[in-house]
Formats: sequence, structure tokens, C-alpha cells
Amino acid sequence: MHNVASIEIEQDIIQANDKLAYGNRTKFDEKGVFAVDLVGAVGSGKTSLLETLIDEMDDDIAVIAGDILSKFDAKRIENKNVPVKGLNTGKECHLDAHLIGHALPDVPLDDISILFIENVGNLICPADFNLGAHVRTVIISVTEGDDTAEKHPMIFKGADMAIVNKVDLADAVGADADKMVQDIKTINPDIPVVKCSLKTGEGVQEIIDLYKKFQNQ
Amino acid sequence: MHELSMANSMVEAILDTAKKNGAIKINEAVFEVGELTMLNPEQLKFMMDILREGTIFEDAEIVINMIPVEVECESCGFTGETKTDENMDHLMTVATCPECGNTRVHILQGQECTVKTIKIEREDENA
Repeated sequence: MHNVASIEIEQDIIQANDKLAYGNRTKFDEKGVFAVDLVGAVGSGKTSLLETLIDEMDDDIAVIAGDILSKFDAKRIENKNVPVKGLNTGKECHLDAHLIGHALPDVPLDDISILFIENVGNLICPADFNLGAHVRTVIISVTEGDDTAEKHPMIFKGADMAIVNKVDLADAVGADADKMVQDIKTINPDIPVVKCSLKTGEGVQEIIDLYKKFQNQ
Repeated sequence: MHELSMANSMVEAILDTAKKNGAIKINEAVFEVGELTMLNPEQLKFMMDILREGTIFEDAEIVINMIPVEVECESCGFTGETKTDENMDHLMTVATCPECGNTRVHILQGQECTVKTIKIEREDENA
């Protein structure tokens, strides 16, 4: 005879990730490193933003560059002569706290003040996964269409700042950058939103100032 | 496709618990998935079916209960469920209080992905 039993498990898989994220955060705080999770769609300008920030910011920066398979993003950052750890997720659509935890031993946390974590190009899946960074920045561009923000509310709900990139192209692609800003403000009224063009330099100083402000908080 | 990694963690949690409790077969597993997670229950089931092949979890019934979204409004103090529609736009309800329309709301519930319970069979100690 077999007996039958009902067993409680009560294990939240998302919370399990949050616990690991908390461990990452503790590590950043111990080392005095300000960590930024940079999320954005494919082609929104994540890597270009990092290249610009590395050039323009005085801080010692390192980058974790998440990508499905390629090393293209990591190579672009490498050319800027800052420490970069390429992180291939294989088939996964997002970085998670566990992957970051494993990458951290390869990042010279003692020598840097800011760590940028470039997430996989995706506005959907990363919403479920806290990495332990101090600030999550979401970058979108006008070329994705000016309904991009309202179509992906969860990623903005959980963000700390947002960037609308390529505003110099808004007219050419028939997109309303102000509508995108307004949509983000509707979803999350408290976050700063910067209109930016990495090509013309518009908004770059504002982004740097925001990071400085967050860093000092 | 993060259903695969989630399903993997879910199957691991189940097999782990089953083993610790001396199970020889799992009859049922119950999950709760928040409506705000970026997880599709059909895909989760599909992934679990692949992952549980050849295990004692193979023939169990999988029950996935969707957990509705609950918010707390900073403005009027409303606490409770938001209305959800069948389409993707239901996500927009997180941004709005159903009572006063304010967009400053905290999400109380709807972001979880929990392995709740399993029903197992084990050898009778008296057998």
C-alpha cells in the first residue's frame, strides 16, 4: 500500500531571485560601487549610451555586458579601455541576479565607482528580475514607435529613470517624443525622464547629473 | 523565453521536496502565477512537460492558479483588485487606481510565481 500526502512548498521563484539580488546589492554597497541596470529594446542605444557615458563621466566605470550569444557589445566597450565582463545568457531573454552574482568575481569592484549592467535587449522579461542594482534605467528610442512605453508598462513601473533616445530622428520617423515622455510619466509619475540624442549630445549632461544625484542619495 | 528557466526552477523545487519526503510518485502540483508576471501559463506547462519526462513528476496533474492584481492607491487609499481584461492592455491597469484614477499606486499582489503544494505517494511504513 502507498499512502498519499499533501506537502506545502510555498517557494516563490521570483522571490528566490530577489534574495540573490539582495546579496549582489550588499556586495556593491560593501565596495562602495554604484550599480546601474540598463534595460532597453534591441537597438534602443544601450551600448551607445555606455560608450558616451564612459567618455563623458569622471568616474571609474566597469561594465557587465549581457547578450544572448555574441560578444559585439562587450568588444565595443573593451575599445573604451574600461573593464568589461561579457555575459552570454545563451537562450535566455534577460539577466538574472544569479548570473550577475557569478559575473561579479570577474569585475574589479575595488577599482571602480560605477558598474553599468547592460541587460539583454528586451522590454518584457527583465521586468520580472531584480539584479540588485541601485538604479534601473530604461532606454527606448523614437524609432521603436511612440507607443513603445504604453505597450510595456511593467518595465517602466519598476524603473528609477527613463531615457527617450534618438529624438533627433522623431520627425523623420513620425514619432512624438513628448507623447513617449508623457506615457512614461503616466505609468510611473515619480521617475525622471530624459529626452536624449546620443548623436547630437542632447540630454547627455542631464543623464550624467541624474546618475550623480542617485549616487549621492 | 524565460518560461524555461522558471519551469526549471519549479520542477527542481518539486522534485527536491518530493525526494525529501520520500515520494515514489507525485500526483498533483499546484502553482500560483501573478497576472503581472511576464509568464504565460500555457508555455510554463509546456516547458514543465519536457522537463519532467522520466521523473516521478511525469504523470502529475499540474494546476496553475492565476493571481489577480491588487494595488494600494497613495491618493485615496483604495486597496484591492484592479480590473483586468483578456488582452495585453490589462497591464495598464497597474498604472491606475480603479476608484480615483490616480496613477500613484503600489502593487500589492500579482507579481508572484510560487510553487504552492504537491500531492505525493509514498510507501506505507507498515507495508
